[in-house]
Parts: sequence; C-alpha cells; structure tokens
Amino acid sequence: MKNVIITVLAVSAAALLSAVPASAQGKTLTISWWGFNGEKLEAIVLAPFRAQCGCEIVFETGNNGERLNKIQIRNGAGVDVAYFSDSFSQQGIEAGLFQKIDPSKLPNLAGIYDLAKDPQGGYGPAYTIGRVGIVYDSAKVTTPITSWNDLWREDLASSLSLPGITTTAGPMVVMKAGEHAGVDAFADPDAAFAAVDALKPNVVKNYNTGSEMINLFSTGEVSAAIAQDFTLGQIQAAVPTVVWADLAEGSIATLNTVNIPVGAAEPELAYEFINFILSPEIQQQLAEQGVDAPVVTSVTLTPEQAALWTYGADLIAGLQRIDYVQMNAAKGGWVDRWNEIFGM
Amino acid sequence: MKRFAGWTLASPATVLVVVFLVLPVLATIVTTFTTPDGPFATYAAFFASSFRRTVLFRTIQISLVTTVIALVVGFLTAYVVSRAPGWLKSILIIAAVFPLLTGVVVRSFAWLIILGKNGILNSTLLNLGLIGEPLTMLYTQGAVIVAMVYLFVPLMILTLVGVLESIPDDLIQASASLGAKPIATFMQVTLPLAVPGLIVGAVLVFTGSFTSYATPQLLGGEQVMMMGTLMYQQAMVTFDWVAASTIAAVMVVITIAIVLLMTRVARRLNPMVT
Repeated sequence: MKNVIITVLAVSAAALLSAVPASAQGKTLTISWWGFNGEKLEAIVLAPFRAQCGCEIVFETGNNGERLNKIQIRNGAGVDVAYFSDSFSQQGIEAGLFQKIDPSKLPNLAGIYDLAKDPQGGYGPAYTIGRVGIVYDSAKVTTPITSWNDLWREDLASSLSLPGITTTAGPMVVMKAGEHAGVDAFADPDAAFAAVDALKPNVVKNYNTGSEMINLFSTGEVSAAIAQDFTLGQIQAAVPTVVWADLAEGSIATLNTVNIPVGAAEPELAYEFINFILSPEIQQQLAEQGVDAPVVTSVTLTPEQAALWTYGADLIAGLQRIDYVQMNAAKGGWVDRWNEIFGM
Repeated sequence: MKRFAGWTLASPATVLVVVFLVLPVLATIVTTFTTPDGPFATYAAFFASSFRRTVLFRTIQISLVTTVIALVVGFLTAYVVSRAPGWLKSILIIAAVFPLLTGVVVRSFAWLIILGKNGILNSTLLNLGLIGEPLTMLYTQGAVIVAMVYLFVPLMILTLVGVLESIPDDLIQASASLGAKPIATFMQVTLPLAVPGLIVGAVLVFTGSFTSYATPQLLGGEQVMMMGTLMYQQAMVTFDWVAASTIAAVMVVITIAIVLLMTRVARRLNPMVT
C-alpha cells in the first residue's frame, strides 16, 4: 500500500512538472513596475503565472522616472518586462531601450481594443487604459465643472491642484492651457504659458504623486484637481462628495504599456507573461478587484465595478490622444518655463 | 616609525573613504567639465538661468535662516539642559532626542497636519476668534523653515549639551567672584567656550538644510523649490544627468565655502578653535 501511495505521488509530481514548459523551469523573470496593489497582483497575476511557467519572478519597483533611469544606466538590461505609463515608455523607445514586439507571440492581442494593440509603433501593447480629467468636490464647487476652460474660473481661486510638469499628466496642462488661449501649445508656447500663468492664482499646490493629491483633498487644501481616473476611488473614500467632471471636450487617454527591454535575459518568458496579463480571465479579475481598467473587449463589468474605470467602447472612442513624440521633444523647455511660473 | 605605523593602521579606512565617498563625488563632478560645449558650459547655463539662480539663493536663504533659529533655540535649550540636575537632564535629553526616532518624512508630514487649512493651528485660531477664515500657511517658505528647524534642533541640542557640560563651573564662579554680572559671564566666558559646539552644530544644520529633499518637497512643492528638489527633477524626470551633476557640484562648493567661512568666524570668536 505504501509503495502504491509513493508511486501515485511520484506520477502526480511528474505530471505536474511535465505541464510546465521545460524551457521555463529554473528561469527567472524580472519585472519592473510601480509596486502598487502588491497583494492583489500576487494573487491574481503572479501566483497563477508562476504555476504556469514554473519560473521564479523578481521585481524592480519605483516610479516611472527612477525605473527608466535604471534601465537606461544598464543600457536596457536587467529587466525582462517593464511597466510604464506611455509618456515614459515613449522616452524609453526614443532612447533605444525597448525591443520591437513580435505580435505572433501574443495571441491575446486579438482580443483587446485597437487603441491598446500597438500604441507606439511596434513596441509593447497597453495592458490598461485610463484617462486624465478633472475631479472636484461638489460640496464646495457648487457650479459644476463642465469644461477644461472652467479651471480658469474665479470661484476656483486658491482651491486647485495641478499635476506637476514632471508627472505623466503635467505636460497635458500646458496643452490645455494652449487650447484655452486658442493656440497649439507646441507651435505657440508663449501663449500657452501665458495661460498657465493666468491659472496660477487658482493653484494651491502642484502634486507629484497621486497619493499627494489625494492628501490635498482629504485635508481640505484643494477642492478641484486635474487627475488620472485611477485615483478617483481613493479620493472618494476620503471625500465622498468628489466627482469626476463630465467635460464637453472629453478626457485625455493615458495608456500603461508593457515593454521588453533590449537586454532582456528571458524574452520568451516575457512574451509569455505579457500574453498572460492580456488574457480575458486575468483582465476580468484585475478590473473586478479594482486594480486596473481592462483593455480586453470581452470583459464585462457591472455599473458599480465600471464606475471607477475608463470602460466601454464608446467612452474609449471619445478620448483625446497625445502625441508623446512631440510632447517629449518639447518637455525639457516646458519644464523650465513651468518652473519659472510656479517656482519663482 | 610611529608615523609609519599610524598610516598603516589608517590606510584601510582611508582607502574605503576614498573609494566609496570621494571618488564617486569626483566622478560626478568630472562629467560636468567634459561636455561637448566646453568645460564650463553647464555652469554658464546654470548661472544664466534666472530660475536656477533664484532656487540657489532661496536654498541658501532658507538654510541660513534655519541655522540661525536652530542656533538660538538649540543653545537656549542646551544651556538649560546642561544646568539641570541629573534626573531632569536625562528626561530633557530623551525629550529632545525623541523626534529623531521617527523618519524625516513622518516629521515633515506632521507639519502638514498642524499647518493645513483644516489643521490644528488654524482650528485653534478660528475657535479663539483670532481669525475669520483659515490662513494659508502650507507651501510657503515659512512652512519649510519651521519644519526644518524642528528637524534639526535636536542635533543642535545634542551637540551643544556636551560642549556646555564641559565648561568647568570653576570658571563661571571665578568670573562671578571677579565682579562680572551673569550676562557678562555668559558673553565673555560661556559663549566663547561654546563656539566649537556652535560651529559644529551650525555646520550640521546648514548642510542638512541645504541638501534636504523630503521636507521642501512635502511642505514647499514647486512653489518653494530648493536645490535638492531641482536636482531630483533634472535627474529623474528630464534625465539630464549633466545638469543634475552641475547642481550637485554647485552644492558641494557652496557647502565647503560655508564651512570654511564658519570656521574662520569661529577662530575670530575663539582663537583656541583649530
């Protein structure tokens, strides 16, 4: 009997091992990401992927700038999969840090929105989609904000927080200021920054992280802000009367991409991981549990689950897009001009 | 032979200091002189920018004000502590050191709660009827200075307590017996003998304030940008490491200059200072 049990266990173990691709066994996948929602990502993504690949997973965490700097210093090595917001991944692409993607190795690409399939000309797909818009405390801002131009309203004096120029959404403020002045900020930055200057009396403090902005709301320092939608749930948890403004011109799309650096040690494992996180099952769980908005078209959410996300074909179709190549080229000069307005 | 033995014993530590502290700083500074535009191009660009000059002068100004306030508050506190009886002295030193048990971010964050629109200070003033609406105290130079003083005063106290305790009571008594009033004794005996501690404390506070990042970031933001926050922006956002290295080099030079200046002042006040 004892021998039978041992035999059954041995056969089971062999069967389990044979289910794991032999090539992945003993390998290590290194992921560079922000480190937020660690427990949920461990349960939804990492544990099942470990079981699938039989590999080890290690991490490099930090904000976009810090992590991109590390990859740049190592000439594109040290990481197999890199998560970035699209403005930063575009900088990585321009610096030659990421390799082009072979779509045939990502069968799950077929099931995601066109916007997310290839947002940057042959590099990594987007695994989630978000938007930049305006949030405001409806208990304090009694006249609803319905346009980007409302940011300049006098009743918002000393009650606004803008994203710092160094954040993902910061340069978008300059673009919106240009539109407010009736010009293209890239063609006429003088007029755009004059409009930014005109906005200054309404600004209490510019924030550099989402948590900093949430804190500004919770302590009552600000009652309106330009924000990314992934922060909305946490702001509302702190101040329930905060709402997402329904803007006539629409919100701005932000995509978070996954890329494979040029020096990736395990590119095949990286493909397997990217394909895994683009699967309908994983995307459904991530959206339901409040981690990321889905890019898979077949994901279905209840109205309550969808309330936090940029979700649904119509909403996604109405988003404005940013030309990050143009924006990144202008960013250095914009940073200096922005600093001269807010830092002098 | 003795000298040789001393050098031999000190050499491992010296090598470690040179390799891990001096060389990285030198390597950083060297990159600023090897740009295609010439050896001083980055420095010319730095000082040509009115914004960068403003940040530099603001950083020096905030650091000096912080140092002066910390010197006054720290000296008075240390004087009281050094004259207190044994059990009270222990309690006072523990109270002074207690804030150091938490991190810089936590201590800076506490001032967000105190100085905010809905913060403790505004609430108190409103309840007392002294103000009609909340004052804007956060994101100003004043907020940064207050938080920095709070951060660095414990260091100043610790530095000065040891120095003040080492002043023999006999000297104070001798001064009094020769007819000096307490203020004269303080100015002509206690203060000159405390100069070494004051200089060490001032250098610690100035360099700490001058290079601080978290406190100006949390309580000042872009509106009160200092050299540390500007350097972070250049390195981590615009990825301009040469500009960031230039800022670092300017900070190193100014720190050394201030230390030398303080040492010179100390020598004038007390010729015994080496």
